[in-house]
Amino acid sequence: GTRGAGGGTSSDRDPRSPEMFADGTAPGADVESLWRSARSSCCEAKSCQTGKISTSESAVQSRTSRDVSVQTDQSKAAVPDFQQEVQVDYTSLLSFLQRVEDAVIKELNKNWKSHAFDGFEVKWTDQNETVSCLHTLSYPEAQEQNLQVTSVSWSATGSVLACSYGRLDSGDWSTEKSYVCTWNLDRRGLNPERPDLVVDVPSSVMCLAFHPSQPSLIAGGLFSGELVVWDTSRTEDPVLWRTGMTDDTHTDPVYQVTWVPGAEHGKRCRLLSVSTDGKILVWREERGGRLALAKGFAVVAQQVPRSMWLKKFDWGEAAVGVTSLSFSHFDPRVFVVGVEGGYSLKCSSAAETPARCGMSSSVPLRAPAEFTFSPHGGPVYSVSCSPFHRRVLRGGQALTVNLFLSCGTDGQVHLHSMLQPQPLISLQLSKKYLFCVRWSPVRPLVFAAASGEGDVHLFDFQKSSQKPALTLKQAAGERPVYCLEFNLRHTQLLAAGDAAGVVRVWQLSSDFTEQGPREMHHLEQLASEITD
Amino acid sequence: GIPVRTTLDNSTTIQYAGLLHQLTMKARRTVRYLDPQNDLTFLRIRSKKHEIMVAPDKEYLLIVIQNPSE
Repeated sequence: GTRGAGGGTSSDRDPRSPEMFADGTAPGADVESLWRSARSSCCEAKSCQTGKISTSESAVQSRTSRDVSVQTDQSKAAVPDFQQEVQVDYTSLLSFLQRVEDAVIKELNKNWKSHAFDGFEVKWTDQNETVSCLHTLSYPEAQEQNLQVTSVSWSATGSVLACSYGRLDSGDWSTEKSYVCTWNLDRRGLNPERPDLVVDVPSSVMCLAFHPSQPSLIAGGLFSGELVVWDTSRTEDPVLWRTGMTDDTHTDPVYQVTWVPGAEHGKRCRLLSVSTDGKILVWREERGGRLALAKGFAVVAQQVPRSMWLKKFDWGEAAVGVTSLSFSHFDPRVFVVGVEGGYSLKCSSAAETPARCGMSSSVPLRAPAEFTFSPHGGPVYSVSCSPFHRRVLRGGQALTVNLFLSCGTDGQVHLHSMLQPQPLISLQLSKKYLFCVRWSPVRPLVFAAASGEGDVHLFDFQKSSQKPALTLKQAAGERPVYCLEFNLRHTQLLAAGDAAGVVRVWQLSSDFTEQGPREMHHLEQLASEITD
Repeated sequence: GIPVRTTLDNSTTIQYAGLLHQLTMKARRTVRYLDPQNDLTFLRIRSKKHEIMVAPDKEYLLIVIQNPSE
């Protein structure tokens, strides 16, 4: 309470008395601070915002693993098999080998001397004893114009046969138009006089080649020196690519066209053309349906490797007319060409020497010839490299035996080995020209030749090395057979086209299609008759 | 079968080992089926190009390939 000086006013006092208003000090009022002690005393954990986490080991994220499959190839996985030698008990292996050794050696010796199986051959497939003409195909419109079959080609699938009509004996000028006809032999209702597809070509087609893997593409070489590629699956305009007439185009008729596999794996095939103007050109596809020159070779007389037969002729820089070409099956850079001069040349596509010729070209031309073989008595029309080869050991050196055939206007077929200039065997098969020679794709000792007398000669070195095993009369009245091709898929079929405008498909008998047990050995023997 | 020793290349050896092991087992079963007292001692396969000889055993198989001369 305060006792104010003038606090208590009493009514009975005189308001003017000084005791009422006296000065006095009152002690300050003290309020004890509670906040600090309150904090410490009144603080207690009431509740937490985060709930209590109860944990217990219930699951692990990494599971048990098991090898199900390995991504690496078979070969890598197989190697460990060899390395797991810990599982082999060598002593028991030794005793096993000792136990069987005698028996095995006895069998080996018996076998080596045995005659039990001499001449014993099992026939697993139905034997076809005779050769017959399966189809006789022609295009009457072309026949009316007296056009001849200049080339035949089988498609990649082996079921479509294409032939080109033109003239081979037309001399220098030919403005006739020609045709390319295809027939699908597997189709029912095949009409031999009505091709499935007929392509009109403004110039004479001299050679044809189907693409090796795309069944609808055909390449053709024309009399004008151009190359055209047709796509048979297109209905409106089958022309896919053409070279056109440029400075690079051949100046002479193209006599052979081939598809070569691309240089790198997966690259597309390129076209190779051969002509009597001496040039061998490799073309690549460009936009706008054009074929542009990728690589080129020119065979010039001066640059052909000298040999005793060529010394007589010194044509200098004259071009050597190339009529045919065949690639080696074991070395893709080696090829053989046949020339108008009558000899064959071994060439390499890896050649670097520039060709000394006056021909202008967008791509530098190189001289490919490496080796000259002895000549025929006239121009060579066809060469064919054997698809069978072997490595032989001769005098301690491993050689790859590569044989090829050449034929020409002298009616002879020469069997050459690439190792020597003289032929191994010379055969006179015709009194007229021989237009085409081809090795069989399945029998290493068999080849077929097309003659000017209208015959297709089938030669089998196993039966006779002097005369043909079989002669098929293609055309009546000695009309020459100009071209022939074996079907690589259906190896019993052989197509041949003649001057009467007819293509015949021959079905060969089994002995022309089945490889005998000792054929490769025989081929090797033939090839090793090389005079040193 | 797992190849232990070979004079051929790896992939050919594995092919031969696998295929001939199965064929040998089948041949053995055939022999024993025809006559339970009998058992396979030797297997020879003659083909156009060569002859394959197999000497069987409980744990091992010896395969020899020969080019017979004739």
